[in-house]
Amino acid sequence: MTSTAVRSPQRLPIDRPAPVTGSGIALRGVSKEYPLKRKTSLRALDGLDLEVAPGEFVALLGPSGCGKSTVLRLVAGLEEASAGAVDVEGRPPAQLAREHRLGVAFQEHALLPWASIRSNVALPFQVAGRPVDDRRVDDLLRLVGLGGFENARPKQLSGGMRQRAAIARALALDPDVLLLDEPFGALDAVTRRRMNAELARIWSEQQITTLLVTHDVDEAVLLADRIVVMTGRPGRVRYTCTVDIPRPRGADVTRTPEFHGLVDTLTAMLDSADETA
Amino acid sequence: MTAARSVLTGLLHYWPLALIVVLWDLWVVVNGYTETVAPRPWAVFADVGANVGEYVPDLAYTLVMSLAGLGLGTLAALIAGIGVWRSAAISGVVTPAALVLRSVPVTAMIPVIARLLGYNDSTVLAITAIICFFPVFVFTVSGLASASQSGRDLFAVLGASTATTLRRLHLLTAVPSIMVAIRITAPTAVLAAMLAEFLIGAHGLGHLFSTARSYMEMDRAWGTAVVATALSVLTFVGARALERAVVARVT
Amino acid sequence: MRGSALRRLYPVLGVIALVVLVEVVGRFELAGKSWPPLTEVLASLGQPGRLDLVLRSLGATAVAAAAGLVLGTVLATAGAALGLLVPVARPGMDRLAAILNAVPLIALAPLLIMTVGREGTPTVIAALGVGFVMFVALSSGLLAASRTHQDVFTVLGAARLTRLRRLQFPAALPYFLDGLALAGPTAVLGATIGEWFGAPSGLGVLIVSAMQNFQIPLLWSAALSATLLSLLAYVLFSRVQVLAARRFA
Repeated sequence: MTSTAVRSPQRLPIDRPAPVTGSGIALRGVSKEYPLKRKTSLRALDGLDLEVAPGEFVALLGPSGCGKSTVLRLVAGLEEASAGAVDVEGRPPAQLAREHRLGVAFQEHALLPWASIRSNVALPFQVAGRPVDDRRVDDLLRLVGLGGFENARPKQLSGGMRQRAAIARALALDPDVLLLDEPFGALDAVTRRRMNAELARIWSEQQITTLLVTHDVDEAVLLADRIVVMTGRPGRVRYTCTVDIPRPRGADVTRTPEFHGLVDTLTAMLDSADETA
Repeated sequence: MTAARSVLTGLLHYWPLALIVVLWDLWVVVNGYTETVAPRPWAVFADVGANVGEYVPDLAYTLVMSLAGLGLGTLAALIAGIGVWRSAAISGVVTPAALVLRSVPVTAMIPVIARLLGYNDSTVLAITAIICFFPVFVFTVSGLASASQSGRDLFAVLGASTATTLRRLHLLTAVPSIMVAIRITAPTAVLAAMLAEFLIGAHGLGHLFSTARSYMEMDRAWGTAVVATALSVLTFVGARALERAVVARVT
Repeated sequence: MRGSALRRLYPVLGVIALVVLVEVVGRFELAGKSWPPLTEVLASLGQPGRLDLVLRSLGATAVAAAAGLVLGTVLATAGAALGLLVPVARPGMDRLAAILNAVPLIALAPLLIMTVGREGTPTVIAALGVGFVMFVALSSGLLAASRTHQDVFTVLGAARLTRLRRLQFPAALPYFLDGLALAGPTAVLGATIGEWFGAPSGLGVLIVSAMQNFQIPLLWSAALSATLLSLLAYVLFSRVQVLAARRFA
């Protein structure tokens, strides 16, 4: 099959920012309880409100176990809220997933170990029952810096490269919404910082509505337009701030007093959130 | 409420049993089989129900043979396993041989042993024990060898004697593998006992089965099959419960 | 270095020791006349028509076992996939597999002879034994894909069949091959049990008739052939399993 002839209708060129459309993500008064033994339950989220505007990059920051991953799982349609409403692009998230309009990357890369990097990135096309757009896959592999590794298997790559492949897979179908759950959480500090810069570059080329869950303050400040800090169990929004540092945010940004001031404020916030938890 | 729920759960878990009986009956009726070819399930259940006294002695005999064979085989395998545990050379030499012997189909082993030991009831027991021996032996040897290096180092530093190390470290580490071996061998013990009884025995379900078959008593033959299946299921369930209890104790 | 070379020698030594032991016990009649020396068993194959008879029986058993292996594997795969696609059926199917496994295969043989005939019985019994092993292996294999992999497929909006084809089947492959390594010998056992009850030919028939007619070398030739077939099936599928594990793990 010649790849140029068939393209998915939503395909956008990578080198131009996507036009900002849709209505983003909206969580209103969302609670989530997990049933435990005999009529008791664990309340992970309590009356949480959160909005992500179309084309906006929001980082959800919080101590571990504060329910931030639960928020992401709700937005991904992997779980249902016990109370409140979760809307993504004005629809229930599960419907968006069925229409193949969500992209996701987890802390575990979750690449298929038996498939090449190229097939892994092409997977969303196959899952959606669409012909694989080879040009799109090539472009994505180049975008995440994996050109030349198409035929490698995941286990032959480093941890950072695997995460880049996972992000390329998340972007394959030009999703309306990109969900990132600690995508670099398993990497060492140096690789993690490099991956943050990579992700910032990738995102600036294609400004998709993005929700990033992380416990790394530097990561949040480097990447996000807006940062939402959550308190511990049950999870609530404690603080929201916009990041006014201009893009692109290169390595020099991390040495500015502005960056350090924001990081210090947020770190203090996380510490006290830990105490209340 | 709870009664209704337990009925529902039962239905969810055991519908295949009902399905098997219904399919069996349909299959007999649709094919127009006579009693001498294949009896209907109701006739078989009636035969078992009406002649419990005919089945029980043979059932008990097979049960005792299976359990005794399993016990003897396991005991011998444990002793042999501990015997070869001391020496990497001996276990390296003996284990592959045991693996080869474990691959001998039961159907090939029984006639050979029957010829060697003669046609009598003690041979049935010996066959069952020998067939149970190999899997348990293989699992015991690998279980004893599976103690962690840090555990061995600890016992070495503590200056523990070989016997103490065996008892407190290696045997405890091996318990889960030994219990797995017993669980997977238990139904094999029933099969081995029945095959041996069928071929050379004078008692037991295998013998009852071969007699019923030669007299063309189809209700009895099928009834024996049903009873033997129940026995085998019970043995497996019992072995699994034993495994869970023992493993929970040591881990 | 020397130690590991020696350790690789142990299995070879073990098998040689076993062969020598069998020979010595037979040679000196330590276990009576029913235990012949191996050399005598091999020599007996030189008798006119004997090798031909053993090979013909071996062929019949191999064909029945292979057919049972294929049939049982296909049924087990269908059953396991059904259990996955229709979760309500799952607990019942697990019980069904446990019951099928517990049916002592001997109990089925004469009943099957009445119904599927003498030719078909070895295959059907082999298929039943194989079916259980493969169903258990596949049922756990189809659930082996990690939670995160499952989540990725959910978020991508995968249909059930797509998920089955692209995630669950590949993830189950190592389990499938593990199962085959166990099911191979099971198929040989099932086929020979079926043959005990009067199939036209096969190693099972040969073993029983040789036993009853005191043809000791023939009994041993047939029993050894069945063992070799069983070992061959095990070794073959284990090798494939090791090769596949390198790629899929």
